Amino acid sequence: MTGFKLVASALLFACAIGSASAQTNKPTQIGWGVFTFTSGPAAAYGMPGRNAAELVISQINASGGIGGVPVKPIYVDEGQGTDGVIAEFRRLAADNTNQAMIAALSSANCLALAPVAEQLQMPTFMWNCDTHQLFLKDKYKYVYRTNSSTVPEFVADALYLLSVDANFKKVAIIDPDYAFGRDAGLIFKETLKALKPDVEVVAELYPKLGSPSYNTEISRLVSAQPDVIFSNFWGADLENFVRQAAPRELFTHSKVILALGESALQHVGTQLPDGVIVGVIGDGYWLAPDAQRKAQTKAFVESYRQRFNEYPVFPSFKMANTLYAVKAVYEKALATNKDRWPTRDDLIAAAKNLKVDTLTGTLALRADNDGLVDQIVGMTKKDPAYPFPVMGEMVRYPAGVVTPSVGTDPIEWIKGLKPSMLVTIPKPGSYK
Amino acid sequence: MFTTYAPLVVDGLADAALIFFVAVGLTLVFSVVRILNVAHGSFYALGAYLSVVIGAFLAGRGWPALSLAALVISPLAIALSLGPLLERTMLRWTYGRPEALQILVTFGLFLILEDLQKLIFGVQPYSQNTPMQLLGTSRIGGIVYLNYQFLLIGLALVVGISLRLLLKRSRIGKLIVAVVADEELARTVGIDAPRVFVLAFSVGVFLAALGGALASPTIGVAPGLGAESIVLAFAVAAIGGLGQIEGAAFAAILVGFARAGAIYFAPEFQPVVPYLVMVAVLIVRPYGLFGSVGLRRI
Amino acid sequence: MFRYVFSLAVVAALLPIGVPWLAFVFTIAVSKGLAALGVAMLLRSGLISIGHALYFAIGAYAVAFLMREAGIADLLLLLVCATLITTVAGLVVGAFMVRYRAIFFAMLNLAISMVFFALLSKLYYFTGGTDGLRVATPTILTIQLSRSTFDIILQMSVLILMIASALLIDRYLKSPLGEALRAIDSNEVRLEYLGVSARGTIWAAYTVSAGLAGLGGAISAVAIGHVVPEMSYWTVSGQLVLIAVLGGIGGVPGAFIGAFFLELVQTFAVGLAAEAWNAIIGLSLLIVIFFLPEGLYGLIQRLERLRASPK
Repeated sequence: MTGFKLVASALLFACAIGSASAQTNKPTQIGWGVFTFTSGPAAAYGMPGRNAAELVISQINASGGIGGVPVKPIYVDEGQGTDGVIAEFRRLAADNTNQAMIAALSSANCLALAPVAEQLQMPTFMWNCDTHQLFLKDKYKYVYRTNSSTVPEFVADALYLLSVDANFKKVAIIDPDYAFGRDAGLIFKETLKALKPDVEVVAELYPKLGSPSYNTEISRLVSAQPDVIFSNFWGADLENFVRQAAPRELFTHSKVILALGESALQHVGTQLPDGVIVGVIGDGYWLAPDAQRKAQTKAFVESYRQRFNEYPVFPSFKMANTLYAVKAVYEKALATNKDRWPTRDDLIAAAKNLKVDTLTGTLALRADNDGLVDQIVGMTKKDPAYPFPVMGEMVRYPAGVVTPSVGTDPIEWIKGLKPSMLVTIPKPGSYK
Repeated sequence: MFTTYAPLVVDGLADAALIFFVAVGLTLVFSVVRILNVAHGSFYALGAYLSVVIGAFLAGRGWPALSLAALVISPLAIALSLGPLLERTMLRWTYGRPEALQILVTFGLFLILEDLQKLIFGVQPYSQNTPMQLLGTSRIGGIVYLNYQFLLIGLALVVGISLRLLLKRSRIGKLIVAVVADEELARTVGIDAPRVFVLAFSVGVFLAALGGALASPTIGVAPGLGAESIVLAFAVAAIGGLGQIEGAAFAAILVGFARAGAIYFAPEFQPVVPYLVMVAVLIVRPYGLFGSVGLRRI
Repeated sequence: MFRYVFSLAVVAALLPIGVPWLAFVFTIAVSKGLAALGVAMLLRSGLISIGHALYFAIGAYAVAFLMREAGIADLLLLLVCATLITTVAGLVVGAFMVRYRAIFFAMLNLAISMVFFALLSKLYYFTGGTDGLRVATPTILTIQLSRSTFDIILQMSVLILMIASALLIDRYLKSPLGEALRAIDSNEVRLEYLGVSARGTIWAAYTVSAGLAGLGGAISAVAIGHVVPEMSYWTVSGQLVLIAVLGGIGGVPGAFIGAFFLELVQTFAVGLAAEAWNAIIGLSLLIVIFFLPEGLYGLIQRLERLRASPK
């Protein structure tokens, strides 16, 4: 029976440690769970996010924290797979000192975490994932997306393509095989069909996310001889694709759109010719006119470069903008509830319909908790000031122009787009 | 017609070449040592990582051409260091024990090597395609091909033929065949069976690491590479017949073409193809296409 | 056995009160333990299945599909139906699987589980692809409870299921059909001479083991709330075999002991040495194989015998 006694006492001890006391007074620290990829192929995209989080949180803490309380980030690696991510989320949510989750990067993890966040009543701010399926069928109270969804992001790419080159017939699509990639394929196709019905999709490839090699897919693309190739590869997939496709002259024979291309410019940009359409799925470009005009942003870019030896890419801005938005939520909640420290529910109330200025533009949270962000698209252009290409011929599409309103079915909205809109939207190169 | 299908042939053969390296090592080890080495994929991954690291080092020092040499140096290094070590310590203990135990020992080894890999090389993805760039491209019939793919096909042929020659003509080869045919008798005749085992296992490790090293310029090297490659190697080795070198070659070509073909005609089924072929073959011929019960042959 | 059951019941009852997320770990451990028990049964006859994750995944996805397509939301109904579906799958696959032995049995199991994995990953519009499918919180006797209450009831139900399955399988293994499994390992021909069909014995054991794995997968699906194709990946099958051997195939508790060990190591390692937990498990496996061939359960039994022996 001694064994049993040992186990029982150990368990009681664990209970004592595990249970947390309710915090109504100022806590000693605020816990934020920060979910991103720090391992595997996705880390090429996830690490800039983590770097930005480290920078921003250390800066917040250096100036006294939020309401005088320091922020403690707990980083969770999404590389452990959805099941592990869910388990970590639950574990962190069980601790009352953790008040907000900044999660997640992957659309797959967001779709899986949203219902869990709702069940556990844990304020969750989705900093990166943009699948429009998130708020499509479900209503969430505790989940906010502090960035744009796939609909404006890929509609913007199609609009830019049509503005730059309207004489193409054959289109090929190559996207990673999961919600984000499938969404993109669907949205891009439907937008083209609505605005240029004579388009023909000659190949649609969905290789597995994280595939190390695309050589056969590239051969397939090359042999189909498309005029336009669209891809929303990201992370190491994007870098591998560029490295493997460039020698095969894919970028010179077709007009290529790399929807998330800016994130790879510093690593593989030299392999791209000028004129490749690249995006930032949002407005987070450090050389964009708005970013260059804001002193705080320039300082952020400089600190980031000094600390991490490269310029911040758009995932860094998505993370930074989200963190500043969450800080704004806290400040609003603190102002509303002067007598006590905000609870999780207070934070949710403060986040409702929030509008903030970000490092690169503005973020507005709508009634369904989705985010409204302008879309910047451009083309690669060599620049003597940098050893990698920059985005030129930029355009900034206002969020309202490229985003369907609350409650509208996005695909139906896309089908209803008219070619006449190409006349009214801003032109490439107009964003200076 | 040519422009559509010629790339398919080249891709299929290049894919087959990489698969062949890994599968033939596995099948060789199984044939001699009679163990299905689950950690075989880890050697593939280590080969890839090490060659990327050495290649990056050499390219950074201003000798990019030597990165090609890295593709051969790293598998040699891995085979020489890990081959005898692992065979003497872990594998030797499992000889004669139940199969389940043997598989589990190598599975435990696989788990350890997976983490060792992460500890040594980190969890970030690596990329080193200098060898691929060095060899350039060729334009045939309007389509641009990577010369590196032709190198892979050539090397696979060379390795396959060398193995065959080694086993049939050389003295060492005959010793191996003898041990495979009847170990007890071979020992009686004075053949140093333990040394043959070490040799065969090390060659297997070399071939796996070579596969990884040769694949590395065309892929991104990241954690999980070992797990993916081992199950594909199993599939191919089983299709060809465990222990049959020609079988491994034939099966590699079959699977390589099936995968490449799938991307052209049925892209949605590309990952399923190798395993479907495996199930189909094993149901009809449980011992693989070239295998047969009782007949232990290389 | 009763002592273990009693202590376990008390421990499990305390968990949700003090440390809710450990209750989650408990549930997952039991689900893996059930599947590992199935693998252990086959191991008794010398057959190693490195593809049992197939049935784990079938059970899990069955729950997701039953909820989505058939509108079944009750927990008990879900578990029962998912287990039945998986058992039928095991019956069908087992029908031709029993012709194979040794390495070929292992390889064919592996192949089929990988085909299933690839199909689950690719058929995006049907299976959700690599993103998987969501499993909403089931109802208990048609009542929709809050998640935290549901988790407690799930954990209690899982505890009961574990005890029930353990007792049932124990009886099965002590029955002629179960004992015949050991005979197949030692000498199959001799068994046939006794008039017992080796294939029939294996087929029965295979079907039962598939059902167990399916139940485990179904529990996992409900506990996590999400199913992914990785549930059918070969490393999961490897894990199940690892659990069976680590825990010890000598007795039914072995599979569960192995599962608890694995889950606890994983949970605590993720916090302390996230990059080393695979290696820790691998090393434990090697240590157990070299020094404790009867697994942890064997070790416990040996200690018991030492204590019980007259001084």
